[in-house]
Formats: sequence, C-alpha cells, structure tokens
Amino acid sequence: MRRVRVFVLLVVMAAAVLAQAAVADPRPLVLVIHGGAGVIERARMTPEKEAGYRSGLSAALDAGYALLEHGGSSVDAVIAAVRTLEDDPLFNAGRGAVLNHEGDAELDAAIMDGNGPHAGAVAGVRHVKNPIELARLVMEKSPHVLLVADGAEEFALEQGVVLVPRSYFRTAARERELEEARRVEQARAAQPPATRHLARAAGEGSMGTVGAVALDSAGNLAAATSTGGLTNKLHGRVGDSPLIGAGTFANNESCAVSGTGQGEYYIRAVVAHDVCALLEYRRLTLAAAVDEVIRKLQRSGGQGGIIALDRAGHVAMRFNTPGMYRGVRDSRGRRVTGMYQGEQP
Amino acid sequence: MSQVSPVYAIAIHGGAGAVPRATLSALRERAYRAGLEAALDGGYAVLARGGSALDAVATAVRTLEDDPGFNAGRGAALTRDGAAELDAAIMDGRQMRAGAVASLRHVRNPIELARRVMEKSRHVLLVGPGAEEFALEEQFVLVPNSYFRTAERLEQLEAEQRGQRVSDLVPPAPQGTVGAVARDTHGNLAAATSTGGMTNKRPGRVGDSPIVGAGTYAKNGVCAVSATGHGEYFIRAVAAYHVCAAVEYRGLTLPQALHEMLHVILKGLGGDGGLIAVDRDGAVAMDFSSEGMFRGARDAAGRREIAIY
Repeated sequence: MRRVRVFVLLVVMAAAVLAQAAVADPRPLVLVIHGGAGVIERARMTPEKEAGYRSGLSAALDAGYALLEHGGSSVDAVIAAVRTLEDDPLFNAGRGAVLNHEGDAELDAAIMDGNGPHAGAVAGVRHVKNPIELARLVMEKSPHVLLVADGAEEFALEQGVVLVPRSYFRTAARERELEEARRVEQARAAQPPATRHLARAAGEGSMGTVGAVALDSAGNLAAATSTGGLTNKLHGRVGDSPLIGAGTFANNESCAVSGTGQGEYYIRAVVAHDVCALLEYRRLTLAAAVDEVIRKLQRSGGQGGIIALDRAGHVAMRFNTPGMYRGVRDSRGRRVTGMYQGEQP
Repeated sequence: MSQVSPVYAIAIHGGAGAVPRATLSALRERAYRAGLEAALDGGYAVLARGGSALDAVATAVRTLEDDPGFNAGRGAALTRDGAAELDAAIMDGRQMRAGAVASLRHVRNPIELARRVMEKSRHVLLVGPGAEEFALEEQFVLVPNSYFRTAERLEQLEAEQRGQRVSDLVPPAPQGTVGAVARDTHGNLAAATSTGGMTNKRPGRVGDSPIVGAGTYAKNGVCAVSATGHGEYFIRAVAAYHVCAAVEYRGLTLPQALHEMLHVILKGLGGDGGLIAVDRDGAVAMDFSSEGMFRGARDAAGRREIAIY
C-alpha cells in the first residue's frame, strides 16, 4: 500500500514537472553540438560505425550538459563538449583530425563568450592535444584574440600546456584518406582541365569540424568550434573555424553559432555573424535566419551546416549536405542525436 | 541610359591612433602627407583610366607598404623579439572573393601575396611558413626580415619594452595599419588592408586586418570597408562586416553605420580606432574614435583631401 502511494506521488510530481516545462521554461538550459557535415548517408554507414558516431555525440552532449545542469557557464559547457569530440578519433578535430599535404594534423579552434563578448582562437597548431583549451587560454590569459602556428605553441608552453608529438593526432583511417586524396590529386593533374573539377568533387566527401553552442542558467550564450581542416590542405591554410564571425560567433544580444563546411565560403560570407545580424537587424526568427544564410551559401556554391541558438533557447540545425553529425540536449528533457537528412533533430 | 555610373572613388588610411599635433614636426607631417598623396593618387589613376577597384586598392596599399613611415611592409612595427611579422587581406566585392595572409616574415608586399591567395589558390587565408611556401611556389622573391626593420621602429620597440608607451614618443609614428577602399566605373567595390600589427606584439599574434569581416570587407551593392585600430576589439565586433550588415539590413547610411560601430559598439567594448568605407554609389565615409587618423579621399566629382586630425 505504501509502495503504491509512493508510486502515485512520483507520477504526480513527474506530471507537474513536465507540465511546467511545457508551459514556459524561464531559464532554459540548452546545449547543441555538431560533429561535421558532408556525405553522411545511410547506404554508406555500417551499424558499428553509426553506433560509434552516435555514442561519441552522446558523450559530448552529456559532458557539456552535466556542467550546465550544475550551474556551470555556457563557456564551460561548450568547451567540455568540444574537448570530448577532439579526443574522439572519429571526428575531425584533435586526435583523428585530417592530415595536411605534409601528413600532419594542423589544428584550429575558437571560443566565443557571448557575455562581453570575449573571444580566443588558435590556428595552425600541431602539438596541442586540445586546441579548444588553448583557445580558451588565449581568451582568458592574453590580451589577444588570435594566435597562430609557432607563436601559439610558445604561448601554450608559457601557460604550462604540455605539448604532444605530432604522431598523437594521426590515425590509420586519416592516413588512408590522405593517400586517397593524393591519388585523386595526381589523377586530376593528369586529366584535361575540363574534367578536373569532377575529380576534385569526388575527393572532397568529408568536411568535418566539431562545434557546440550553449545557453546557461545565467542566460549567457557561448560558441566553440575545433577542426583539423581539409584533408591534403596546404600547410598554413586556415579555414573558418578559428575566425570569429566566420565559423564561430556568440553575442548575448543576438545568438550563438558554430559552422561546419567548406570554410572558404564561410569566411567570405561571414556566415556565423550573418545569422546573428539577420536575427538582430531583420528581426528574423533564428530558424529563418539560418535558412536564409544556408540559401545564400547554396547560391554561392558552398556546402555545409550551421548550428545556432538564441537567448530564448530556440535551436536551429541546418545543412545542405547529405548529412550532419549533430545533437541537442536541453532542460525540457530533449536528448537526441542525428546524422542524416530528414531525421529529427 | 547607361547602367554604368560615372562615379568612381577611392579612400585610404595610414593608421589611426594618438597623434598629438604639437609633437608632429612640420617636416614629418609633410613626409606623411606626401606618402598618403602618392598612395591616393596612384590608386586614383588606376580608376581614372577605367581600371578595377581591386587594382586601385592593391596599388594604393602597395605604395604605403613600401613607404617606411607607415606600419605595413617596410617600416612595420616589430614583435617583442624584434622581427617584422606581417598580415594583409584583399577582397573583391564583385564575387565576394577574398585572399589573406598572416604572420609573414619574408614577403616584401604582403598585399600582393594576399591577392595571389585569392586568385591562385582555393583557399582564403594562409599563415606563417605555409604562406611563404606558397609565395615561393608562386615565384615570389623572398627578402630577409631585416628589409622591413627601420631604426625608428627599433627605437619604438625598445621604448615599449622599457615600459614607455609608443604614443608618448616624440615624434609619434603611425601605429595601426594601412588600407584602401574603392569603387570603380563599373560599380565594383574592393577593400584591402595591410599591417605589421602592434609594437612589441607576441609572435604569432594576428589582429583584425587579415580577417575577412573584421578588418576588411567588400560586397558589391553594399559597401567596402577597411579598419585600423585595436584589432582585438574589431575582431570581436566583426567590425567591417557589421558595418555592411547595418547598411544592407537596416538601411543605415554609411556615415551612420561607421559612427555606430566606432562610437557605440567599439566604445562599449573599450576599443578605439578608425574606419574608411565607400558605398555602392561611390560616396566615401571616414571616421575615427582615436586622436587622429592618417587618411585621404579622392573621387571623380573632384574631391581630393588628405587629413591627419
């Protein structure tokens, strides 16, 4: 009898909590992540690979959300989520990042705190295990926003960051991808110019990057992005991820955005900031602003995806590629991951 | 009923900052003015003979890079280890193409390498030794770092390292950055910016100049912008693109958009500096929140001005 009463009480309490969440959540907590956009199709995926990606995304969501739930800041949450994805060799950031023309991982990352706003970024680092942590140190411990290459690693050493050998980042799968890209490149060079772009398109399936945006209990937004860039990229090439406004942007006045895709298009269109400018100046909803920016990207010939979050907790995750690794967890109980087109979220 | 507007215009800057009038000798002031005039007229000549806005801004910026008085190319400010480390970006508003380079130590004219990145690579931004490798592949002749170093910049570095502010030195020298914006007879817009960054900066520090959207932006039908000032603030505000967004999405005039960026947004963040811009019709706007900005403007309607304060 006593057990029944406890059970009824629990049911009533759960219903009350759910009802409250459904009415209006005055202080929503939200974490949204992505693990890259590109040719991600059911037909090409094995159950084991899919399970690996989904568990990696879930681990990142849970690592970041646990902090939000315990009153942590949105900056803490996006860093934790991105660091988890950096450490997972399946995703193109940190360990398991794609390799450049010389066979090395060359890593870029940025963090932006919408409260301030403050920002930190690093590009072209080759010995920093978690580039997103170094980006945070740039934001918090230097007067600068962007440090690149050797100078960035000098700063890392001054901050007590332990460097790792380049071999730490290399995985067998990325080495095979680089060999394939080099083979395609050679085949392309041997072809008449008219057909070269076709060969290039075939070799550019993956456009990985990882990123996160979050809203914390104080109402602050943050965004973080980390990447190894493009397979077989030129040494020194920097994409949109570490560029504030292009691949990463957050401002409490408008929104938080992290992008993934063909970085050069994102830089030219200042994609992440453009979403927030449309929101602030055109008074578009977040979803409409993200759709508009994806449309512009499509018109310019660019491909990729965007995750975005506004201060009210609205979430947008859009892409014009076959798929995007993604996930969302919030204080309304949502905890989902997605990979393909047409899948929720 | 020609669709082609006859109005072409160019504006340039040679950096903003503390430029106390009293400490700038007449001789020095004449030298800076002559440098600005050479860059302005060189760029304008390209436009006047029907050349592109892209060629005009590249020409003007190259002239300022070669002038040791300005903080770009030869005569650039030095890093804390005494080297010049150069950044530049160029953007063509026609197709919104862009090219940029950062942390170069051996490229005489960084703006030319930025343009080569735009035209000959599939990338937008190349940094450090990788960018210089690309320069060699493109047949650029590299120069030793000592080419950029001038006695004056060494003195400034030493003063800064003694704890003295460069702005307190006599005579003061342009800090900031150099840049140009233009509209050509076909209505195309372009922007270019080049810099040595801050005196005594940490090696590897990159400011707003080579970041598309922060220090440099151009979009046909909207505006072209080049910035100079405390780069970290301009990056966080995405200053150059934000100006264009304010014009395009809110219908602000260019002077209103510049004013809001400098005197409201950047001031709110605690940063100062200057902006030059040209709108779709060839109207030039220049504004700054620092004591002075080395600048010039010239257009087909007969305007030709050089100013510092």
